[in-house]
Amino acid sequence: MKSFVAALAFAVVAAVGVAMVLSSIQEPSSVAFTTTGARVGDPGHNLIGPS
Amino acid sequence: MARVKFLCDADRCIECNACVTACKNEHEVPWGINRRRVVTINDGKPGERSVSMACMHCTDAPCAAVCPVSCFYTTADGVVLHSKDLCIGCGYCFYACPFGAPQYPKVGNFGSRGKMDKCTYCAGGPEADSTPAEYAKYGANRLAEGKLPLCAEMCSTKSLLAGDGAIIAEIYKERVMKRGYGSGMWGWKTAYSDSPTG
Amino acid sequence: MPGSLSILKFAGFKPLLGAFALLFVLASPAAAQLSFKPTAEAVQEDKLLNALKEGDKISGRVSIPDGSAANLIQPAGRDWRDFHRGKLPWIGGIAILGMVALLTIFLMVRGRIRIHKGFSGRTILRFASFERFTHWLTASCFIILALSGLNVSFGRTLILPLFGADAFSAMSTYAKLAHNYLAFPFMLGLVIMFLIWIKDNIPGKLDIEWIKQGGGLLYKGKHPPAKRFNAGQKGIFWIVIVGGALMSVSGWFLLFPYLPGNVTALQLWTVIHAVIAMLFIAAMLAHIYIGSIGMEGAFDAMGTGEVDLNWAKEHHSLWVEEEQKKAGAPSDRTPHAVPAE
Repeated sequence: MKSFVAALAFAVVAAVGVAMVLSSIQEPSSVAFTTTGARVGDPGHNLIGPS
Repeated sequence: MARVKFLCDADRCIECNACVTACKNEHEVPWGINRRRVVTINDGKPGERSVSMACMHCTDAPCAAVCPVSCFYTTADGVVLHSKDLCIGCGYCFYACPFGAPQYPKVGNFGSRGKMDKCTYCAGGPEADSTPAEYAKYGANRLAEGKLPLCAEMCSTKSLLAGDGAIIAEIYKERVMKRGYGSGMWGWKTAYSDSPTG
Repeated sequence: MPGSLSILKFAGFKPLLGAFALLFVLASPAAAQLSFKPTAEAVQEDKLLNALKEGDKISGRVSIPDGSAANLIQPAGRDWRDFHRGKLPWIGGIAILGMVALLTIFLMVRGRIRIHKGFSGRTILRFASFERFTHWLTASCFIILALSGLNVSFGRTLILPLFGADAFSAMSTYAKLAHNYLAFPFMLGLVIMFLIWIKDNIPGKLDIEWIKQGGGLLYKGKHPPAKRFNAGQKGIFWIVIVGGALMSVSGWFLLFPYLPGNVTALQLWTVIHAVIAMLFIAAMLAHIYIGSIGMEGAFDAMGTGEVDLNWAKEHHSLWVEEEQKKAGAPSDRTPHAVPAE
């Protein structure tokens, strides 16, 4: 039983940790697809909601 | 009821991107979201043609068919729209769309791409017509005001046509007959399999 | 010049002008019969579409940095849609429901596999706590991954009508997040399992014998000898490792779609992910069955780690001998009540 509960707890903690890591490497498309020649400030929030 | 479509006459398109600019301005489309784009085939070579492409509002829309949460719907005019409230941002519609219409605000995880955005034929979304809430989520609703999509209205050479499918097909056919050539009704066979020639 | 105006009043001026102009037209290279056709090499949509091979796309040049925008038409999306809404539900339905039916029939016909000599009351340690931890880590992640994955394939048809669009979407959002994030502890569990159990899962001659005797599944009282893992378990091990690896690789590319970068590759990964998933789930149903209701005494292996000695002697006789040799004494572990946990 202990190992089962420990496994569940570990899975949840790992998932939360992964969520935090993945959200930090997330990029809005305005940043990901901007070439060096362009300077994009705030691309606006219309259609995509607040970032 | 009229079944509306898009038709881009590639022999007239001069790649000016007025359609793209018009759409971007009308709906305040943020950088990184490309509702409409101009693709140039055989760029620089003889026979180069440019095609303005956005959502074609297909008859049997593949995006609607594959959506795991069924967030798409087709209006009586044949416009394919979707609900951003129901969208889970999974990306399936992008895999299915032959024209690459779905756009996502974020790059990265499958899940957190954000809500899908695409050309709405200037017909807004499920929110109430011409309200600020609708504008913030889906952009302007010109169809509710009896107007046609702005991209076609702004086309400098009238290569991009929008409106009743039968009428714009007729216009295109007249042009082809008069000038003696036409590179095809780009995307019609794929999008409107029930009426590929109008 | 005084005579210049009079030429304009000349009645035949216009026709003469027309005839004069015609001379230029007929004499020019682009004559009435256009020898040079400006649209001869123009791209034609139907020609391009017909020239496409399977999975190919019509693409061109765009000024947008996102490479996917350069694709004009990708007809493969239609085939992908047909597969996902046509063939895949059949594959999944037959695999999963077929397995459930098979297991039900097996339970009805063969019944629960009992310990022939009954419980001895003495136990032997089968799985250490770290092994059990790893198994349950992988297994519990698998359950959520399987359910959330099945929701993507079948939820719209089976669950949406029951709960309505808003509730179903909200549930699906959380399901999809759980799917994305639990995939990582699942992959970790797979790696650990591979490392700790690979040495006992190498196929050998004994396994052929075991398979020839049907694993004792079909006849009461038949107990072909086996070491720590019998051929059936080795099969499950390799299904989990290979299937899990395929799921992990395909899932990784779906999680980070900018890695393959193009829609055609992503379509292939979703097909692999979906088909392997259906088969994987079917296999795991059989594993769950035999480890719970299918065989008396089996669950203890992962439950407490201590299995009944008679059970062990009947199903893993050679392993029991090895373990007892290791322990030194010919006698078994001292009898004790199996703890309540």
